[in-house]
Amino acid sequence: MVSRNVYDKAIKEIQNGILRMGGLVEQAVNNSVQALLKADTAAASRVIAGDDLIDQLFSETEDKCVKLVATQQPMAKDLRIIMTGIKILVNLERMADYTVDIARATMELSVYPVNVKPFEYIQKMAFFVQRMVKDGLDAYVHGDIEKAGAMCRMDDEVDKLFSEAFKELIERMKVDPDVVAQYAYSLFVGRYLERIADHATNIGEEVIYIATGERKELN
Amino acid sequence: MNNRLKDRLATGMFWFGAVAVLLILFFLLAYIFLHGFKSISWHFLTSPPETIRAGGGIGPQIFNSFYLLFLTMAITTPVGIMAGIYLAEYARRNNITEAIRLSIETLTSLPSIVIGLFGLLIFVNKTGWGYSLMAGALAISVINLPFMVRISEEAIRDVSDEMREASLALGASHWQTIWRIVLPSALPGLITGGIIAAGRVFGEAAALLYTAGMSSPALNFQNLDITSSTSPLSPFRPAETLAVHIWKVNSEGLIPDVRQVADGASAFLVLTVLVFNITARWAGRYIHRRLTSSQ
Amino acid sequence: MSKVKVFAKDLNLYYKDFHALKNANLDIQANKITALIGPSGCGKSTFLRTLNRMNDLIEGVRVEGAVCLDGQDIYDPKIDVVNLRKRVGMVFQKPNPFPMSVYDNVAYGPRIHGIKKKQQLDEIVELSLHSAALLDEVKDRLYKSALGLSGGQQQRLCIARLLAVEPEVVLMDEPSSALDPISTLKIEELIQVLKQEYTIVIVTHNMQQAARVSDLTAFFLMGELVEYGVTTDIFTNPNDKRTEDYITGRFG
Repeated sequence: MVSRNVYDKAIKEIQNGILRMGGLVEQAVNNSVQALLKADTAAASRVIAGDDLIDQLFSETEDKCVKLVATQQPMAKDLRIIMTGIKILVNLERMADYTVDIARATMELSVYPVNVKPFEYIQKMAFFVQRMVKDGLDAYVHGDIEKAGAMCRMDDEVDKLFSEAFKELIERMKVDPDVVAQYAYSLFVGRYLERIADHATNIGEEVIYIATGERKELN
Repeated sequence: MNNRLKDRLATGMFWFGAVAVLLILFFLLAYIFLHGFKSISWHFLTSPPETIRAGGGIGPQIFNSFYLLFLTMAITTPVGIMAGIYLAEYARRNNITEAIRLSIETLTSLPSIVIGLFGLLIFVNKTGWGYSLMAGALAISVINLPFMVRISEEAIRDVSDEMREASLALGASHWQTIWRIVLPSALPGLITGGIIAAGRVFGEAAALLYTAGMSSPALNFQNLDITSSTSPLSPFRPAETLAVHIWKVNSEGLIPDVRQVADGASAFLVLTVLVFNITARWAGRYIHRRLTSSQ
Repeated sequence: MSKVKVFAKDLNLYYKDFHALKNANLDIQANKITALIGPSGCGKSTFLRTLNRMNDLIEGVRVEGAVCLDGQDIYDPKIDVVNLRKRVGMVFQKPNPFPMSVYDNVAYGPRIHGIKKKQQLDEIVELSLHSAALLDEVKDRLYKSALGLSGGQQQRLCIARLLAVEPEVVLMDEPSSALDPISTLKIEELIQVLKQEYTIVIVTHNMQQAARVSDLTAFFLMGELVEYGVTTDIFTNPNDKRTEDYITGRFG
């Protein structure tokens, strides 16, 4: 068998870039949720500042993908790795943007006294979302289709939690106008988490596509 | 007439041509050998010829032919190959080169008797050697050189430029490239040239009549002093070759067994040429194989 | 920026009345792979052959301008062309091993440069074959004819033969155009390894190959050097419209 050292190295580099970015996004999800729950505005602004690094990594890795396609003519599985790599990058970048949104919401919410009810939902959703981001990256690293599938099923839990939260918080807003602003921001956060879960599901689908070459709709 | 029929007809004609050539060759050889082998004996091959009595041999003539071959090749081969190298490798395409080529072409078409007479003037008289092996060798060289030059030039030209470029690109000089790459590759062609040239030495009579002469002095095979005229090794003694001998006994022989001597000598001459060609080709192939490591 | 090994300055080449290279200015960097691309007859091979003066062998060629190797003009009349070609070696389009044994092919260069000791030659031959990634395939048939090797092996033998004279610059004139895809990849991998020790200039009519193997790419068109730059830039975002047309296949 002929080896293509330069080429194999370049693919490895792209995969490492994706993983590094994934690690940063995973961290940003954790940090933004923790900052929100603790009403820690300093931590929230660190999440906002950290997005620059993620954006930079995103454009660097995307650039590498483009150059690899231009110079090495990847085919079959290699081509899938690169093309889906770009899509995973886009998904991760969107996830990072949502963590920034969560951090901004933290700033807005910090003026209100801590209200337990919405945070219960947020905490539960965040539990699943963090698992999904982590499992999604693990599945990508190991090409683990099982894990990708299981991870995608967690998305249903997140959706269910969000719709429960939505119903309950709306009911409460109706009876107590004082909490409307606070709950509205909380619902935004819930929505952001739900979107992050959707992007994680997309990553899971890409992992399955890389491994099998088949498209599978999972959410 | 359809194409199939045409094709068959053409094929048939080619077959006919090939068979005709083979048949002519076969009958010729059979005729010469059938008549000649009867006269060949150890005595015939080793004794000197008789002048008026029967029972003479062709011993000195055989020796003379081979010695003349050696002398001629010693002149023709190096000069011919060097000229071939010059024309193929160094000569630029200009009028001088064209003039050289034209001269060579013209030289190939000169009748050999003309060269013989030219040899008589220059190599025999002007040099003061008289009829001698050396004069004969030079005369035959005049005939052979154009052939040798042309064949060497072609053989050298046939070596692909890729080989030359490969060698030059490794930092070899032009001469190193010629010596180590071009000449070994051209060897089979050069050997073919040599064989053709050698064949002419055996077969040529006209150019030798007035140069190497039609007589052979009594040779003393124990005498190895090359300056002595009775030494077989002396290049400056008259020497009648086999082919000249055949011509001479046929045209002015006084011996009663003219027919037997001529037949035997002819058969032996043809046989010699055959054996020589086969050996030279085999040796050439062996050397080429050694040089190129091909199996 | 790494060191410039060879540079051409205002290089013009005429073949009789034909202006084959027009004012080429090109810096070739040490230990990099520089690819020369362009359509047939664009001057890329001609340019390559000016670098070790192989064009000298063709009658009617006239060169103006300078080509400098380590700062010295190789067209200076004082330059010894034979020595130049020892420093700047060449691999050709068609594999052209000499009709001799594998061993003798590789030992040819060292021998003409005066190495006679058997042991020293053995070492050079082994090392060169190893560097050309051919040793394992030919170690049992070193003394058999090189013509019995496959095309790809023959080309790697030609590379080994070149490495045996320890050149500084290796010129390759479409080295894999006569080879099958697998042999081509082997040659490309080999080139990648060789660049650590040699400066490599490769002419290729296969754009993908230039993209795969080279660090820098020069695009020639009708004797003119149109664009020269980092390969990934040339292939993702060329500056010149003509380069873009050529690499996207919308040309000629």
